[in-house]
Amino acid sequence: MTMVLTILINGLVFGSVYALLSMGLSTQYGVARILNIAHGEFIVLASFITWELVTDLGVHPLTAIAAAGAILFVIGFALHRTLFKRVRDISPNAAAFEGDAILVAFGVYFILQNLMRIKWGSQTTGYSFMAYPVSIGGAQFQARSLFVFAFAAVICVLYNLFLSHTRTGKSIRAAAQDPVAARMLGVKINRVMAICFGIGGFLAACAGVLISMNQTFSSVTGLNYTVIAVIVVVLGGLGSIRGSILSGFILGIVGTAVNSYDPSIMLVVFYLIILVLLIVRPKGLLGR
Amino acid sequence: MSGRGVSISFGGMKAVDGVDFDLREGEILGLIGPNGAGKTTLFNIISGFLQASGGEIIFGGGKISGLKPDKICRAGIARTFQSARNFPGFTVRDNVLMGALFGKPGKTRAQAERTADSTLEFTGLDKYAGMYVSDIPLSAQKRLEVARALATEPRVLMLDEVMAGLNPAEVEDAMALVREIRGRGVSVIMIEHVMKAIMSICDRIIALHHGRLIADGAPSEITENKQVAEIYLGEA
Repeated sequence: MTMVLTILINGLVFGSVYALLSMGLSTQYGVARILNIAHGEFIVLASFITWELVTDLGVHPLTAIAAAGAILFVIGFALHRTLFKRVRDISPNAAAFEGDAILVAFGVYFILQNLMRIKWGSQTTGYSFMAYPVSIGGAQFQARSLFVFAFAAVICVLYNLFLSHTRTGKSIRAAAQDPVAARMLGVKINRVMAICFGIGGFLAACAGVLISMNQTFSSVTGLNYTVIAVIVVVLGGLGSIRGSILSGFILGIVGTAVNSYDPSIMLVVFYLIILVLLIVRPKGLLGR
Repeated sequence: MSGRGVSISFGGMKAVDGVDFDLREGEILGLIGPNGAGKTTLFNIISGFLQASGGEIIFGGGKISGLKPDKICRAGIARTFQSARNFPGFTVRDNVLMGALFGKPGKTRAQAERTADSTLEFTGLDKYAGMYVSDIPLSAQKRLEVARALATEPRVLMLDEVMAGLNPAEVEDAMALVREIRGRGVSVIMIEHVMKAIMSICDRIIALHHGRLIADGAPSEITENKQVAEIYLGEA
């Protein structure tokens, strides 16, 4: 019983981080049609920014969301306004753009990763945060894990409220459903795409801040996050934010269960789930 | 609104070829022609979705050809699509609210909500407000296309076959709606294949064939036009 509880709660903790990891990627792909391979690098950059703020200035890691979030929103927005907008303008059609955009994102990935390696080296980094155990129903958990879960859940809820209730949120959802129709109703589609790319950066920053509280990281861990985010997004249905959240939690719980049995086969199981899903339900859990 | 020498070619074929047209204030202008005549292409050019390779379109004293579609919408020209492109993930009300929120600059949220509700009422869609597009009848989906465009508070409304697929009673309702829209001071250009409808509600009709303008006149003149009768009515 204690073991089930341990797996369930740790699964929720990982699930919330997975959901957060993938929401940004999903927003970028769903509207701007860019599969951002550099997403994981955005996350690592946010972790480093947090680490600098915590170790140098001694601030609470959560306050780093303001700094890292602002920086990564601007980077994302500017990248779309300059690089991806230009690629879109010269691509002959939408399908060609998706392919070109992945290559460009790969370029961004290499540049960002190596800049971080120059600045921070490639050794593993981390800091201590809320490092004491908490007991729930006889099972032991790190206090920081529960803190991470709570904040990831809050960000997921706030982001969904933003999408469903604000004017910008509505324009994002409309653009994800039918960009041409949205544009014909007066939506400034180029601006919405750039905002979505910026939001992707902001959400990556939130993920990076929370990950830095809970685990160690280095300048080369970014691609792992990207891989997990892609798996979560494909499982949830490309472009579906709610699908990403659902599949994030499913993979979090399954992953934790598998991890307690044999950590080395976790990705194998993830890929197996994806394989089966692509055969049974090619559009993902909540894909249209 | 007027167009002078409007042209576009796709791979050497002239889809719209030197078309001149005028839409007068408060007029209902019909746009007819056989399939492939370039009617929807002309709509796509006016709404900014396609860039004309020649000619220009003037609206409200300024040149609008070359502007992006969202800017043209905000300038006061709204359109519907031949196959309804409502947002499937939004309720009927949210679909209309999109037009109200983004179609006209400088509106507060509360003003946009009021515009959406009054547009729903005006188009008789208020009873479907909370439903999703897939759950309402086809005639209502067609009406929703119109309502959404109308919520942008346009001065010119372009309707692309909004009566296609409707039964005779629904066509009557749609005709009444178009008249009421004009009654609000909105100028209308409509592409339509339902001849009875277009002949009875249009003030003037222009006919296209192979991208060229072949006739321009009152409905009675169009029915008597030999070229139109041969090319278009003969085929129908």
